[in-house]
Order: sequence, then C-alpha cells, then structure tokens
Amino acid sequence: MLDLVREIRQTLRNNRTRTVLTGLSVAWGIFMLIILLGVSRGVYNSFESNTANHKDRITVWGGYTSMPFKGYKDGRSIDLSDDDVHKVKNENRHSVERVIAYSSNDTSSIIGPKGHISGGFNAVYPEAMNSDEVKILHGRFINVPDMKEQRKVMVLHARNARLMFGDEVSALGKTVSSMGIAWTVVGIYDHRWRSQTYVPYSTLKGITGNGNEAYELEVTVRNISTLEEGEQAEKEIRATLARSHSFNPHDNNAVWIWNAFTQNITARRGLGYLDLAVWLIGLFTLLTGIVGVSNIMFVSVRERTHEIGIRRALGAKPRSILGQVVAESVAITSLFGYIGLVAGMVVLQIIDMLIGNSNDFKDPTVDVAMALKVTLALVVAGTMAGLFPAIKATKVKPVEALRDE
Amino acid sequence: MIKLRKVNKTYPGIVPLHVLKNIDLDIARGELVAIMGASGSGKSTLLNILGILDNYDSGDYHLDGVLVKDLNENRAAELRNRMIGFVFQSFNLIGYKNALENVALPLFYQGVSRRKRNAMAMEQLERMGLADRAHHLPGEMSGGQKQRVAIARALVTHPSIILADEPTGALDSHTSQEVMQVFRDLNAEGMTTVIVTHDPGVGAATNRIIRISDGMITNSDEKNA
Repeated sequence: MLDLVREIRQTLRNNRTRTVLTGLSVAWGIFMLIILLGVSRGVYNSFESNTANHKDRITVWGGYTSMPFKGYKDGRSIDLSDDDVHKVKNENRHSVERVIAYSSNDTSSIIGPKGHISGGFNAVYPEAMNSDEVKILHGRFINVPDMKEQRKVMVLHARNARLMFGDEVSALGKTVSSMGIAWTVVGIYDHRWRSQTYVPYSTLKGITGNGNEAYELEVTVRNISTLEEGEQAEKEIRATLARSHSFNPHDNNAVWIWNAFTQNITARRGLGYLDLAVWLIGLFTLLTGIVGVSNIMFVSVRERTHEIGIRRALGAKPRSILGQVVAESVAITSLFGYIGLVAGMVVLQIIDMLIGNSNDFKDPTVDVAMALKVTLALVVAGTMAGLFPAIKATKVKPVEALRDE
Repeated sequence: MIKLRKVNKTYPGIVPLHVLKNIDLDIARGELVAIMGASGSGKSTLLNILGILDNYDSGDYHLDGVLVKDLNENRAAELRNRMIGFVFQSFNLIGYKNALENVALPLFYQGVSRRKRNAMAMEQLERMGLADRAHHLPGEMSGGQKQRVAIARALVTHPSIILADEPTGALDSHTSQEVMQVFRDLNAEGMTTVIVTHDPGVGAATNRIIRISDGMITNSDEKNA
C-alpha cells in the first residue's frame, strides 16, 4: 500500500504541470459544490429560524362572504368576536392548543415628556410575547393580571422609549398619554423589525367599548404533522366560524386564514427541491472536472505505453497496472478535491462572517456529514475517471517494451 | 534449459506471414548463446516467444522444465518475473526512477518488502560495480552504466535465463566490449544467457551461434569458448 502511494507520488510529480492543471478543474468543481451547498444551507437555516416560532400558527381575520347562505346575501362583512376565541378552542380540542385575539388602535398618538409617536398600538394577550418573538430588555410584557384588571399599561419598543424619554431605563414606571388617558410604561422590548406599542387586549376593549369584536385570531395548533392534517385543521376552524357567523363553510372569503403550518410544509418541500437542484448542479460541475481527469489519464496511459510495456515485461500483472492507473486517478481527484473542499469551507466562513447573521441568510456552513458525502463522491468519481483509461492500459502488450521510442 | 519442439508462429493478415517454421532448439544450462539473423528473419519473434512476451501457434516450449504454452496474462507475467531476466537494446530503464528503484522494480511485482528489495537491488548494483550510482537517475548515467543497471535489474530475481535483445546496439565499440565481458563473467558463474544480435562481434564473444533465416534455424555452430 505504501509502495503504491510512493509510486503514485513519483508519477504525479513527474508530470507536475499536467497534474496540477487537471486537478484544478476538480478542485473548482468541488469548490462550486461546497459553495452551492453552503449557500443553500444558509437559505435553509434562515428559513428555519424565521419560521421556528410560526410554524404551528393559523391566523384568522374577518372578511366578506362571497356566497349567499341561509337567506343571507353575499358580500356581507364578517367580524370576528371574542366568543370565537372560545368556540374555536372548545370545538377543536384535538388540534387546537391555544387561541388568542389581537386588536388594535391604528390612529392614536402616544405622547411622552420629550416626544410623541403616532401609529396607535396593538392590544394583545400575554401570549403575544412568544408569538411576536418580542425580546424584553427592561421590565416585563403584558401579563394575566393586566388582562383581568384592564390595567392601563404599555410595553414600548426601545427606540420609541428613547424618543419619548431620552433613554430606555428611565421610561419604566413613567406615564405617557394616549386617547386622553394616562398609561404606565411597564416594559421595554426589542425586535428585528417590529416597533409597535403593546397594551392589554382587555384594556383596549374596555376603553373603546366596541363590544366583543376581535381584529385577529391567532390559533396555535397541536397534534398535526402532515400537510393533510394541517389543511384539515384549517377546514375545521373555518367550519366552526361558519357555524358561529352563519356563512358557507366552503366560502374562503368570509374569513381570511393564513395557515403557517401548511405553508411551512410546502416551503420546506420547495427547499428540498432547491437542495436537490444544488446537488445536481454541483455534481455536474464536478463531472466536467472528472471528464478532464479521465481525458488526462488517457493521455498519460498513451504517453506511458512504453513504460507500461516495460513493467509488463518485468512481470507486472494486468491487475496491478489497472490498480495503479485507478489509484492515480483517485489520488488526483481526492487531493485536489480536498483542496477545493477546504477552499470552499474557507470562503463559506468568510461569507458567514460578512452576512451570516442577516435575516434571509444564516450560518451558511457545511457540516461533517456533508463533507463525508462529498469525499465519497470524490472517490467514486476518481475511480470512474480512472477506470476506462486503466482498462486501456491493461491492453498494452509486454512486447511494447521491445519497441524503440 | 530451453527446449523448443516444432514451434510455429504465423501472423494473421490478408497475406498470413509464417515467421517461425517448425523450430527445434535446445539450449543447455550454463550456455552463452547468440541468436543471429538478418532483420525479418524471425529472430525477434523467436525472442518474444522465448521471453514469454508472445504466444506461438503450435509445438512445445519448455523453459527450465516448465511447459510454456497458452498461458493467461497473469501466469505469463509471473513466469517472466521469476524465470527471465531481460536486457534491452535501449536499456528500458524508467526515467524518473533512480538506479536502485529501477533494479528493485521486478521485486516490487513479487510483493517483496521495500527494505528487502532495496537490499537485494543494492547487492546486484555492487556486483555491477555501480554502488556509487545507486541514487542517480538514468539520465545522469552513461550508456554503459545504464546497460549495467539493466543487467542488475535482470539478475535481481535470480532468473533461470538472461535474454538480451541487441544489448550492445546502442553502445560504442569500447563499451560494447565491456558489456559483453559482463555477460561472459556472468556465464562463467553459471548464468544461462541468450543474446539476440546481428553484430558478428557480439556473436563471436559467445560460445555458440544459432543462425536463423527465413523462419528456420540454418546453422548452430559449436565453438570453443
């Protein structure tokens, strides 16, 4: 074995320029494969992290009916209500984990001692902290007693707190004014893109007095894992609301439903195709390199016909000639493939450092399992590339040794 | 040592070429023999058959008591490796291997360990007086030195016979004489040696000349050494 390695090293060194040029095409192929895999992994990872907290969510908004039903004309407005929160939960216990409602005031401005902000606020359940992925920096989020007692409390985005109070910490416990009422700031939060102000759901309801209308329902599902189950859960929620509001359960416009669960599965399926495409493109790029190696091995065998003849005359069996040519081919592909692999990894690390933490691209690295797969692909490719030239080499007759060059 | 009985060889073609016609040949152990003939006489074909580099069509060839007939590639390679030491006109050393590695190459195909084959190769190089050239590449040596490296390579497996194809063809007359002296010395130690040549001077330095013409042995002179 060591002898074979030594033989290969000698012949490769003997044809250095040719070996390097051929090897570069393989290195390039692997480099591209690694970069493609890494980038697709980056897209995948960002998808994973962006959907991590949403993939079991079904969100419902009120809409307008598009079909007449039980004597009602179409075009009727459907408004969700607080009763729906309980109905959706109680009638679908198997698939529904939790239902919360959102409401909002979109127009009121909030006035602090040093400035004011406009755009209203969101009225939420305490669970919205998780749903909206809110990160509390100081104080706390809306809690259950806030809801029960309809407390006039607010949770501000850090930037808004700075705007109205100069700095974040001093805002805590202070009051701001909105809708002519004084609100106490109980928490400061941060988020990648959200900036709205949060107040307790029940408080807003109490103030506006607009009955039990809910702007949005957010349903957290459970016990479902397939696309079909996800669609079924959506259908059941729609059916519950159809009974509650007397619209056709097949009317998709009466309530608007955003089913993150099924979307996630579909998107994941799409990502699977992306992964497949990346492998195909990468492998075909590699194939160009492999064909190059195969070609060069043909040339090498032809050039060394006399040498092979000598070796045969001295007692080399066809098998050992075959083995040597294949081993040479595997050595070239593996060596340069490895160079491409390492170069690809380095470039991925650089990409990672530059843009690896952005929203739509995260952690574009290639793991050990993938590196092993690529290595295996290399060895197989090298064998394939060497096989045909090697078979040709075994056809060289020992009489070639007697022929003068 | 070598026994040929009614060996025939025809190269197929539109006009088949009958190059060896009922060759009978005996070479005893310890002989130093020259096979001579003009080009096209069939002497190269005879050499190929003696060297198990090529097959023949009919007849029998015994080498050191082993029937060499219709062998597959692997068996032929094995016999060549163990029983025959080749010396070629153009030396046929591998250019990127040094003298020691070239000499050790036949042992590599026997699966001898590197340490052992280098020791055995060194022994043969010493015998040829080339120990100090062991790590030189063929390109750094003179013709005579290269041919002595090739002879060392032929000897390293302790073969039954040495087959030399025009061993002095690429050498000047002085070096030719030196190389022939090497063959004579080896023969004196008991090495059976067959030299194919068209050089009368080389023939004269052997103990017997077998003349081949038009595919037939015409004359087999015994002389005194």
